[in-house]
Amino acid sequence: MYAPLLSNRYLTSRIIPFLAVAAVALCVALVIVVVSVMSGFLEEVRRSGKTLIGDVVVTRDIIGIPHYEELIREIEALPTAEAACAVVETYGLLQMPYGQGDGGKQIETVQVWGIEPASFDRVTDYRSKLYWRTPTKEEAAALAPDDPRLDAEYQREREGMSLHNAAGEPGLVLGIEISPFNRRTKDGSYRTENQSGAQDPGYFMPNIEPAPLLTLVPVTESGKIVGEKKMRFPVVNEFQSGVFQIDSQRVLAPIAEIQRMLALDAADVVSRTERDENGQPKIEGRTPARATTILVKAKPGVDPMQLRTDVEVAYARFFEKIMKDPARSRFGKPPLSVLVATWEQRLSALLGPVEKERALMRTLFSIVYVVCAALVLAIFWSIVQEKTRDIGILRAIGASRTGVLWIFLRYGMLIGVVGSLLGVLLAWAIVARLNDIHDLLGTPSPTWLRVLAWLAVLVGLGMIVHSVRRASALRTVLWGFGTVGLVSLALVLWNHEGHVIWDPSVYYFSRIPSEIDTDIAWTTAVFGTLFSVIGAAIPAGRAADTDPVKSLRYE
Amino acid sequence: MAQRKDDTALLSARNVRKTYHLGKVRVPVLRDASIDIAAGEWVSIVGSSGSGKSTLLHLLGGLDRPDADSGPISFAGDDLRAFGPRRENEYRNRDVGFVFQFYHLLPELTVLENAMLPSLVGLGRLRWLFSRGELRERAAELLKTCGLGHRLLHRPAELSGGERQRVAIARALINKPRVLLADEPTGNLDEKTGGGILDLLASCHSDGLTLVMVTHDASIARRAQRQVRIADGCIALAHE
Repeated sequence: MYAPLLSNRYLTSRIIPFLAVAAVALCVALVIVVVSVMSGFLEEVRRSGKTLIGDVVVTRDIIGIPHYEELIREIEALPTAEAACAVVETYGLLQMPYGQGDGGKQIETVQVWGIEPASFDRVTDYRSKLYWRTPTKEEAAALAPDDPRLDAEYQREREGMSLHNAAGEPGLVLGIEISPFNRRTKDGSYRTENQSGAQDPGYFMPNIEPAPLLTLVPVTESGKIVGEKKMRFPVVNEFQSGVFQIDSQRVLAPIAEIQRMLALDAADVVSRTERDENGQPKIEGRTPARATTILVKAKPGVDPMQLRTDVEVAYARFFEKIMKDPARSRFGKPPLSVLVATWEQRLSALLGPVEKERALMRTLFSIVYVVCAALVLAIFWSIVQEKTRDIGILRAIGASRTGVLWIFLRYGMLIGVVGSLLGVLLAWAIVARLNDIHDLLGTPSPTWLRVLAWLAVLVGLGMIVHSVRRASALRTVLWGFGTVGLVSLALVLWNHEGHVIWDPSVYYFSRIPSEIDTDIAWTTAVFGTLFSVIGAAIPAGRAADTDPVKSLRYE
Repeated sequence: MAQRKDDTALLSARNVRKTYHLGKVRVPVLRDASIDIAAGEWVSIVGSSGSGKSTLLHLLGGLDRPDADSGPISFAGDDLRAFGPRRENEYRNRDVGFVFQFYHLLPELTVLENAMLPSLVGLGRLRWLFSRGELRERAAELLKTCGLGHRLLHRPAELSGGERQRVAIARALINKPRVLLADEPTGNLDEKTGGGILDLLASCHSDGLTLVMVTHDASIARRAQRQVRIADGCIALAHE
C-alpha cells in the first residue's frame, strides 16, 4: 500500500519527474505528429488517385478488347458492380498553342484517355473533377473573391461533360497541370496568366486558339506502326484529379475519335480476292470497336478484391459467350485473359513509394522511443541515486525488494502514462491547428508583436541590472540566458517576412493533412509508457538490490 | 567473549563475526561478539567510533547478515540466519523498531504519514482499506504522546531536530515491536533536546519495551539498566 503513496508523492513533489514527463510528452507528440501527417498525405494520395479510376480496372494492351459493350453488360449485371465504362488508353504528342521563341510550339507527351463522359462520370465522379465548372453555393462561399470560377465566362461544365465545344467540335479536357500558365496559388486554386505573367484574360485554355494538335500512332495486332494520325482538338475544359502525375500528363478525349485515330473503331472487313456486284471488294463482315480498358465501380460496401474476383468470372463468361458465337468471334476474338486489378494494385507505382516513405518515417521515428527510454533511464538513475537513503529506510522498516522495485516501476509507469497522455493531447492540438500554425509562420509578424518582443528584451536587460545590484548570481545567470533568448526571438520576428514550408506549388495538396491518426496515437502512447517503464526498470532493480545498511550510510 | 548466558533472552548473539570487504582488503569489525538481551531490558552499547557498535545493532535488527562462519543471532529463540526474505521483512517490520541518529524520515511524506509508514508496509491493500482509520488514529495518538499532536500534517523539513527524532520514535513504535533499536538517538541533538528524547525512550521502556541503544556518550549510556562496552570488535565489558 506504501508503493502508490510514495510513487504519487515522488511524482508530485519534485521538479525532476516533471522534466521526465515533459520529455516523454515531447517524444510521443513528435512521433504522432510526423506519422499522422505522413498517413494523412498517403490517404490524400489514395483518395485522389481513386477518383478517376473506379474500383477495379480491366486492361489489355493497345490491341484492345473487342465486343467490350457486351463485357460491360456482363459486368454491370454483377451484384457487386454498380457501373462500368470503356476507356481507350494510349500515349500521344500534344502540340500546344503556345511555345518558346520564333513561333515554335510547345509539344507535350501526354497520356490520352478516350472516354464516353456520361458513363465515365458514373464510374469515376468525373463531373466533380472538372475544374472550370459552376461552383456549388458552399464551394462558392469558400472561394477567394478573385477566383475566376466565380465568373460565368469560366464555367464550362457543359463542354466538359460533352467533350465538345460550343460549336459541336470534339474537344479535349486537359489535366490542370499540363498548361504552365495555370498558376497555383497558396490556397490551392488556379489563376490563368499569359506568358508575361499577367492575369485576366491570361491563358484560359478553353479560349486559346489555335486548337492543340494531337498526334497518335496506331499499332497493328502484330505490333507494326501504321503511320501517324493527327487531329486538332479544341480544349473544352480542364480537370483536377488531385494527383500531380495524373494532372500533369493526362488528356481526356471522346472515345470515338480516339478509336478512329488508333483504328480501334468498328470497320468493314473486305475480301482481298472477291468483288461485289459493283466491282468493289466484297465486304465479308465487320470488326467490332475495341477498348483497352474497362473501369468498374463497386456497389457501396463491396470490397474491391471481391469485385475483382467477380469481374474475372464475368470476363470468363463473356469470353466463352463470344467464342461460342462464330459470327461475332470471327472478326473479333477477345483475348483469353486480361489483367484485372483493383485500383490500389493499379496505382501501386504511385502509392508504393508513399507507403514506403511512411514505413521509413515510422521506423526512423521509432528511435524516438529509445530516446524516450534513455531519458527516463537517465532521470530515474538520478532519482534513485537521490533516493538511496529512502530505500534504506524502507528496507529497515520491512519493505521487501519487490516492494521497492514496484515503487520505482510504478513511478516510471506514472511518468509514462501522464507523459504519453499529455503527448497525445499536444499532438492533437498541433495536428488540428497545423494549417493555422503554418499560415502564421507564412505571414510576416505584426508590428505590435515585434515591438512587444523588443520591450521584453528591455525588461530582461533591466532584470539583469537589478540582479547584479542584488548580487544574486543565479538570477543574473537566469535573466542573462532569458534575455539572450528574447533578443534571438525579437531578431527572428523582426526579420520574419513569412516562411512557407508546405508550398502547394511544390506539394500537390493545398493544405497539410491535419487529421490525427488515432491508431498511431494510441500505439505511440502505449509504447511511450512501455519504454518509460523499461527506462525505469534498471534503476528500479538497482534500488531493490541496494544493501539497506549501505543506503542508510549513504551521504 | 560472552558477557552473560541467559536462556530466557529475547535477543541473543553468540560469537558473531562480521567482516567488511573494501576491495581486496578485509576489515573485521566484529570478532566473536556475544550478547543476551532479556525482554523488557534497557541495554546501552557503548564504544568508540568504528568499534562495531552500530554493526552489532544492524545485525540484531536483521538489517545486515553476519559472516558465514559466524555464530547465531536469535530472536525469541529463532535464528535470524534461517529467516527467508519474507520472514526477514516481517521481523524488521513487526518485531523490531529502528531509531537512527539522523532520523531518516521521508521528506515527501507528512509527519502522520511517516509515523504510519511501517503499518502501510506491513499491510496489504485490502487490510489497509479496512483498518486505515484505526491506524491513522493510532499514529496520531502516538504522535500526541511524543508531543507532536499539532504537527501531524507538517513535512519533516518544517520540524526541529528533536521533533524529527520524536516522529522517528513514533514510526518505530507504530507496529508495537517487542524491541526498539536506537542508534545514537541523541547524537545529533543538543543536550536539552537529547534529554527529552531519552525521557521519551525511558517512558517507552517503562511500558515494557525492550530497548537497545547505541551511544558513545557514557552519561547517556548510564540511563540504561545495563551497559555493554564494545572494543576491537568484541564485547569487552558489561556494567549492571
